Amino acid sequence: MSYESSKVIRDGLQTAGSALDGYFSIKVAGDTFGLPVTQVQTIFRIGSVTAAPGGPADIVGLVNLRGKIVTAVSLRRRLGLEPEAGGPGSLAIGIEHHKEAFALLVDEVGDVLTLTADNAIAPPPHIGRQRAKFASGYNRFGGQILPLLNVDAVFDFSEDKS
Amino acid sequence: MDEMLMEFLAESAEQIEAASAQIVAFERNPDDAALISSIFRLVHTIKGTCGFLGLERLQRLTHHAESLIGCLREGATATPDVVSAILTAVDQVKVLLGDLEETGQEPEGDDSEMIALLERQVAICQGGEAASAAPAEEPLAAVAEPEPEVVEEVMPEPEPEPVASAPEEWPAEPVSEIPARPATQETLDALVASLRAAKLDVRREQSASVKAEGAKAPEPAPAALAVKGAPEAAHPSAAKAGEASEGRAKGADTIRINLNTLERIMNLVSELVLTRNQLIELTRHKEDETLKSPLQRLSTMTTDLQDAVMRARMQPVERVFSNLPRMIRDLANDLNKKINLVTEGADTELDRQLIDLIRDPLTHLVRNCADHGIETPEERLRVGKPAAGTVRVSAAHEAGQITIEIADDGRGLDINKIKKKAIQLGVASAQQLERMSDEEIYRFIFAAGFSTAEKVTNVSGRGVGMDVVRENIQAIGGSVALTSTPGKGAKFALKIPLTLAIAPALIVEASGQRFALPQHSVVEAVGLNGGEHKIELVQGSKILQLREAVLPIGSLAELLHLAPPENRTAEAEQLAVIMRVGAHAFGITVDAVVDVQEIVVKPMGVSLSHLSSFSGHTILGDGSVVLILDPNGVCQALGLEQSREGSAANVESDALRVGDRTRLVYFRAGTGVDKVLPLSNIARIETVSSEKIEFSNGMMLMQHQGRLMPIVAAAPDVMVREGDNTVFVVSPDGEPFGLLIDAIVDIIEEKLDVEIAGDQPGIVGAAEINGKVVELLDIAHFIDIVRPQAERPKDRKSRLLLIDDAAFFRDMLASTLQAHGFEVVKAGSGAQGASALGHSGPFDAALIDIELPDVAGYELAERLREAGAAFPMIALAPYATREILRAAAAAGMAGAVGKFQRTQMLDLIHACIEQQNDMQDEVLFAGAAA
Repeated sequence: MSYESSKVIRDGLQTAGSALDGYFSIKVAGDTFGLPVTQVQTIFRIGSVTAAPGGPADIVGLVNLRGKIVTAVSLRRRLGLEPEAGGPGSLAIGIEHHKEAFALLVDEVGDVLTLTADNAIAPPPHIGRQRAKFASGYNRFGGQILPLLNVDAVFDFSEDKS
Repeated sequence: MDEMLMEFLAESAEQIEAASAQIVAFERNPDDAALISSIFRLVHTIKGTCGFLGLERLQRLTHHAESLIGCLREGATATPDVVSAILTAVDQVKVLLGDLEETGQEPEGDDSEMIALLERQVAICQGGEAASAAPAEEPLAAVAEPEPEVVEEVMPEPEPEPVASAPEEWPAEPVSEIPARPATQETLDALVASLRAAKLDVRREQSASVKAEGAKAPEPAPAALAVKGAPEAAHPSAAKAGEASEGRAKGADTIRINLNTLERIMNLVSELVLTRNQLIELTRHKEDETLKSPLQRLSTMTTDLQDAVMRARMQPVERVFSNLPRMIRDLANDLNKKINLVTEGADTELDRQLIDLIRDPLTHLVRNCADHGIETPEERLRVGKPAAGTVRVSAAHEAGQITIEIADDGRGLDINKIKKKAIQLGVASAQQLERMSDEEIYRFIFAAGFSTAEKVTNVSGRGVGMDVVRENIQAIGGSVALTSTPGKGAKFALKIPLTLAIAPALIVEASGQRFALPQHSVVEAVGLNGGEHKIELVQGSKILQLREAVLPIGSLAELLHLAPPENRTAEAEQLAVIMRVGAHAFGITVDAVVDVQEIVVKPMGVSLSHLSSFSGHTILGDGSVVLILDPNGVCQALGLEQSREGSAANVESDALRVGDRTRLVYFRAGTGVDKVLPLSNIARIETVSSEKIEFSNGMMLMQHQGRLMPIVAAAPDVMVREGDNTVFVVSPDGEPFGLLIDAIVDIIEEKLDVEIAGDQPGIVGAAEINGKVVELLDIAHFIDIVRPQAERPKDRKSRLLLIDDAAFFRDMLASTLQAHGFEVVKAGSGAQGASALGHSGPFDAALIDIELPDVAGYELAERLREAGAAFPMIALAPYATREILRAAAAAGMAGAVGKFQRTQMLDLIHACIEQQNDMQDEVLFAGAAA
């Protein structure tokens, strides 16, 4: 059982400061979401994962990120999409939420987009409830509709615990 | 909540506790003027601060309490009524403070009833000394006195010249309270007191802003003004000023630190420890000397740093002790008893987290002593004891643990009552009780639902408690021991680890995943492939028969619903780890115990904290994350929380050892003096009918666990008698044999010093216990009789003698070494080491701490060699420096190694033993060059 460590790709993102209103475009299985740059601490590839038996199914396990234990959450599983393998080397975004460190597994992290309030649109009414709760708002960007990821909902497992 | 208010709350909580303890002390000791002044000051300080913070309700209440205390200070008698009134007021203040802490503001309502009560008492006190012209009432001036913070520094003299009268109006004060006389000495004293108390070191920074506010406040007393100009200069003289000095001295070199700051430092150090461990792991197999030496230094320093930070988190147990006097007073009143409380070692320090955790168990034990232990005054006088009983609570720090003893000089435990109750509850039969030692019987009081109080009082005796006490203490890795002497009293000894943040743990593997299992709940690990211990299915549930005990057992992989790994081998789950949680003993099967490590316990994040099977997670030396199993949760997962039959007693090993004392079986064998044998040497005590003992080939044999077991007589003249015989089952290396004795006298806990070495075979030597001479049996001699040298298993484990006076290192190293396949005999001093050589030898190697209390390690090595020890000896030091290596070589030792250099230590031991086996004489030097 050899241990593999996590590898940081980009760091110190929160303090960059240049793009306070910027959003990362993150992709999972053909879906794209906007994630506020201010929420992202690190982008890294996860190392060995320790499973948490009995925990919520969307939690892949625990990962050591530079000596800190972070909870790895699969965004694919969260959204009810086809799950990824979630093994070492998966791309993850380090996010701290309510003092707990999370690693959100995604397929791809794209460019930083600048969204303004005028781009915001009303939520399309026909989106399924299970999916809709993970979006905190919708924006029109470059001819596409971009949902903004609701981090609070993604990391709230209170419904999954029972 | 603003910072000032929070600081006030933190301080007041301490002051209130201190005040109530002192009031109780004053009641007993009404002549102690210093005491009442001190109480007065405490209450006054609270009042002053309340005024400053605009807490009117609290201020009014404390004002009236203070008035009454003022009466006492002026000589009024401290009748129980007065004291009770003050205590009730103090309680109410506590309640108000509690609400304040919760909501951030004073609760609605008023305390007119309480105030009326206080006023009545004041009136009575004053009536009693009507001659006194001066009203005892605290003059308003004291209340309205400029807030403590107005003047940073205390007045240089506690008794300066009179002060001009303070302002007349104070909104919070009822009109009737307007003083009839100008400010007096008392006002000044109070002012001094509150200034002093308010002068908290950290606040020094705030002094500027506070002073600015002070300027707006009513004109301060001239004396204070005078000081204001030169606060720094005033400081030294104030420190000298008599009663001021105490508080001063304490304040000068301490600062208050926000807990979060401390937690953060602690966390950082934990990270550092983990990083250090990873580095060590990485360099484990590298022979790079340039790296090793700085790494070792880093390692030592990290350990020191960790230690220092741990210490910073420590708080004196006084925090728990301080509420005891009050409790004892109330109990004594309720129960119509006279009880003195003696506390010792209140300055012993303990991790603050643990302080909160031991509060309830400790309080309960003290209650029990007062309620069950201490007799009524009449009863005490009848048996020739002083009317007042004593409850003694003492704390001491010994070898990485805290021992807290709660002792009373009451009637002791009533063994007959306990027996009766045990039979009634069905926890033991009369026959079983017959065979039990008194201590084992006493321990029944820790069973659930056990209370022998005939009369259920509101104090104790409802049968809830002792089991909870034991569970709570065990949950934090501690233990409770109990001794009792009929008519003389009972004593509880709590052993508590210094901290919860770092704990030794077994790293176990199940289904390819590793988990950490805290060692404190692990009793033993039992191999299942030997055939002796088998898991059986009883009505669909797994059961393990281990010696006498029938233990519920479950597979860890199944309990956690782990997916089986793809390449599952036949060897899987061949190990049962036996654990004990409260009264439950149970086992879990795992694939392997991979390692023993000191882990830094980190709590789970919110998203996983609901998993009851885990108490946290940690990062191992190699960087991987493992979950820490919660023995309680595992116990529940096995479905054990309901049934309380776990017969933990049988698997309980020598957990009850106290300090250097050993539990000894005191017995008769033959015609000579009584014999003793450490209880730890005895696997079981069997009662065997004479018919069951057979003779074959000149040897006695009996059936034991399905096999024939040889029996030898403990002394030549011990014979098999008709009927029941007592046999000790001794199992030195897994091959049990029986030792036939005449009768067990007792099981005692004594320090064993063998004074006269015996030349009689089978006897290590003679020792004195309780004024009687006893002989210590030599187990090795009987092993030789039963199993001549040639017959002993060849591939036996290497045996190590570990001599270290610090129990912490002894246990830590022993568990590490045992985990690596060594058999370890522990000794706490040179003398013990030497006697171990006599009765537990031979050894393959010895590890000797260079600094032993009785003899230097090097000297001991030479002495052991003179005594015939031919095995290699390794010097243990906190850190293997060149000097130590040199000194060890000079003493003919095989090498030296640092106590924390686990890898090097193991390498060195292996090398030494191999070399010894190869019969080479060359001195080997491994270890570290500094």
